[in-house]
Amino acid sequence: MSYLSTVLLLAISSALINNMVFHFFVGCCPFIGVSRRVDMAFGMGAAVTFVVTVAAFLSWTITWFVLAPGAPLTTAVWRWLRPPSSATPDLSILCYLVYIFVIAWAVQLVEMYIRKFFPSLYKAFGVFLPLITTNCVILFVCLEIMKHVGPIPGSVPDPWRLDKALIYAVCAGLGFMLAIVVMAGLREELELCDVPAPLKGPGITLAIAGILALAFLGFTGMDANLAKRFQSSALPEGVAASTNPPTHAP
Amino acid sequence: MKRNPILDAWLVIALSAGFGSSLAAVQAALKPRIEANKLCDTLGQVPVLVTSATRAEKVVVGDRVYYRALDAAGVTVGWVVPASGQGFADKIELLIGLDATASTITGIYVLDQKETPGLGDNITTEAFRRRFLRKPADVPLSVRKDGAAAAHEIEAITGATISSESVVAIVNAALRQFAGQLRSGAIRPGGIP
Amino acid sequence: MSSDGPTPAERFLRGILPENPVLRQVLGICPTLAVTNTMEGAVTMTGAVLFVLTCANVLVSLIRPLLKPHLRILVFTLTIATFVTIADRLLAAFLYDMSRQLGPYIPLIIVNCIIIARCEICASKQPVRTALMDALGQSLGFGLALCALASVREILGFGTWFGKWLGWRVLPVGLSERVWAPWTVMILPPGAFIALALLLGAVNWATARARARKEA
Repeated sequence: MSYLSTVLLLAISSALINNMVFHFFVGCCPFIGVSRRVDMAFGMGAAVTFVVTVAAFLSWTITWFVLAPGAPLTTAVWRWLRPPSSATPDLSILCYLVYIFVIAWAVQLVEMYIRKFFPSLYKAFGVFLPLITTNCVILFVCLEIMKHVGPIPGSVPDPWRLDKALIYAVCAGLGFMLAIVVMAGLREELELCDVPAPLKGPGITLAIAGILALAFLGFTGMDANLAKRFQSSALPEGVAASTNPPTHAP
Repeated sequence: MKRNPILDAWLVIALSAGFGSSLAAVQAALKPRIEANKLCDTLGQVPVLVTSATRAEKVVVGDRVYYRALDAAGVTVGWVVPASGQGFADKIELLIGLDATASTITGIYVLDQKETPGLGDNITTEAFRRRFLRKPADVPLSVRKDGAAAAHEIEAITGATISSESVVAIVNAALRQFAGQLRSGAIRPGGIP
Repeated sequence: MSSDGPTPAERFLRGILPENPVLRQVLGICPTLAVTNTMEGAVTMTGAVLFVLTCANVLVSLIRPLLKPHLRILVFTLTIATFVTIADRLLAAFLYDMSRQLGPYIPLIIVNCIIIARCEICASKQPVRTALMDALGQSLGFGLALCALASVREILGFGTWFGKWLGWRVLPVGLSERVWAPWTVMILPPGAFIALALLLGAVNWATARARARKEA
C-alpha cells in the first residue's frame, strides 16, 4: 500500500470507526458536561485537538528516545555508566507518570502561548484549557502511541514513526470534536422537547449518545474494505487474484 | 517575605524520591513475571501450532520476528509466523504454524481481535481455525462462501465474510513475506535432511 | 466541609448510594461504559479503583498537614499516577488476561475524576480513618454501579454471568436461536450508553419516588 493510503486509513479509523467517544468511551465527561451549546462544544473540541497534537508530539519523542525499552538516549547513558548487567534499559514503568505531567505541562504551555499571541482565540476556548488536563482523550492518545512505539526492530509490529503518531492524534481530536459538536447540536434542539423527568440531563444525553454510537457502528469495516481495494489495485496481477471481490455482508 | 521555591517543594521532591524507589522495586519484582506472561502468549502456542515441536527460537529479520520451532533434539520441525492486519473492526493478530519446509500450514491461532461479538469473533473458534489445516502455504489462499472445493480455498464463516477474508488476507500477506525471506536467504531454512 | 461533619461510618454508607460516584455524581463514566461488557471486567476495574483510591486517600490524608495549597494538585497527581502504575503492573503480572482485556482503561484511572475529587474533597481535610472509609465507600459505590451495568450487559449480550471465570450460563444455550437471540448490541458501545442511560433514569425515578413518599 502506498504511504497516502496508509495515512488515509489511519485517519478514517481514528476519527470515524474507532471514534474516541462512541467506540472507546474516552472523553465522556466533557462530552456530557460541555455539550449544551454548539459554540462551546466547538471550542472544547478545538482545544482538545490542539492540545492532543502537542501532547502526542511530546510523548512520542520522549517515548521513542527515552522511555521505551532500548531507547537510544537511555541506552547511550546506560552504556556510558558501564553497569555490570547487560540487560536492555527499560524505563517504560515511568510512562504513565511522565505522560500525565507532559499533558499538564503542554496544557500550561498552550494556555500561555494562546493568551499572549491570540487573545481572541483565548477568549473563545481559553476557559476549557485547564479542564483538558484531566481529559481522558489526551492520555488515551498518549497510551495508544506508547503501544506502537518500539525503537528496537521487532519489538513492536509495524511501529509508528512521528508522522503516524501525529496523524493519529489530530484525527482522534477531530473525531472527538465531531462527536461533541453533533451532540451539542442535538441537545440544543432537545431543550424544546418534553423529556421524562428521571432522564433529564445526563440520562437523555447518554441515550442519544447510544443512538449516535449505533450510527457510528455503520463505519465499521470501512477501512477493511478500503484496505482491500488499495491492496488489490497496488499488487501485480497474479497476487491480486487471490483476494475476492469485496462483499458487503459483515 | 520571599520564599525559596526549592524549600517550598521539598514535599514534592521527597514524594518523588519515595515513589520512584517504590516503582523501581515493583518493576524489579514483577518484570520477570510480566515478561513470562507476554512470552507465554506466543511461545505457549508453538507446540499446538507445530506438531512435535517442544520449544521455539526467535529469528529477527529487519523489523519482522519469526519463530523457529524445534523438537527435543534441536531439529527444525516448523515455523511460527506472527502476522497482523486490518480486520472488520480492528487489528487482528495471528500466529501461523508451518511445517519444516514452509509449504503447508499446520495451524493458526488468533492472538488478538476485536471483531463483532457473536459473528466476526468466530474466527477464534476451533471450527474456523481447523479450516486452515494442511492448506498449501506457497499458493495464495482464497475465501469461498459456499464450502471450500479446491485445495487453496477456505470456507467463510456465515455472517462474517469480511472477518474471514481479513484473516485469509493477513495469512497470505505474511506467508508471501516469509517465503521471500526464505528465498533471499535471510532466514536459514530448516528441515530438509 | 467542616471536620465535625459525617462520621467515618456515615461516609462509607454515603458513597454507596446517596453520593454514588457514577449514579449520583455522574463521574468516571468512561470506565463505567468501557469495561462493563463482562462481569470480570467490572470486578477487575473495581479492584483497581479500590486499590488506587484507598492508597491515594490514605497517603494524602497522612501528609495533609504538609500540603501547600498551590502544590496540592501536583502532589495528588503524582500519588495517583504512581499507584495506578503499581496496580497496572500487578494486573499484568497476576491477571494477564484481564490486563489485556482492560488495556488502556487501567492507566486511564489516573484521569478518572472520582479519585482526584475524593483526594481534594475528603482526604486532604480529614483524618486517616475517615479518608479510608470514604475511599472504601466510594469504591464500593463505583463497583456497585459497574456490576449492575455489567450484569445487564453480559446476561443480555452473552447469556452468561461471570462467563469467563465461573462459566455460569443464565440463559440456556438451546434457547438462543429461535426463541431468544443474544443481544449483541449490548456488548457493543451503543448498548453501554443506552443501558447506563436507563440505569440513571431508574435511580433518579426511585429517588424521586422515595422523596415524594417521605414528604406525603
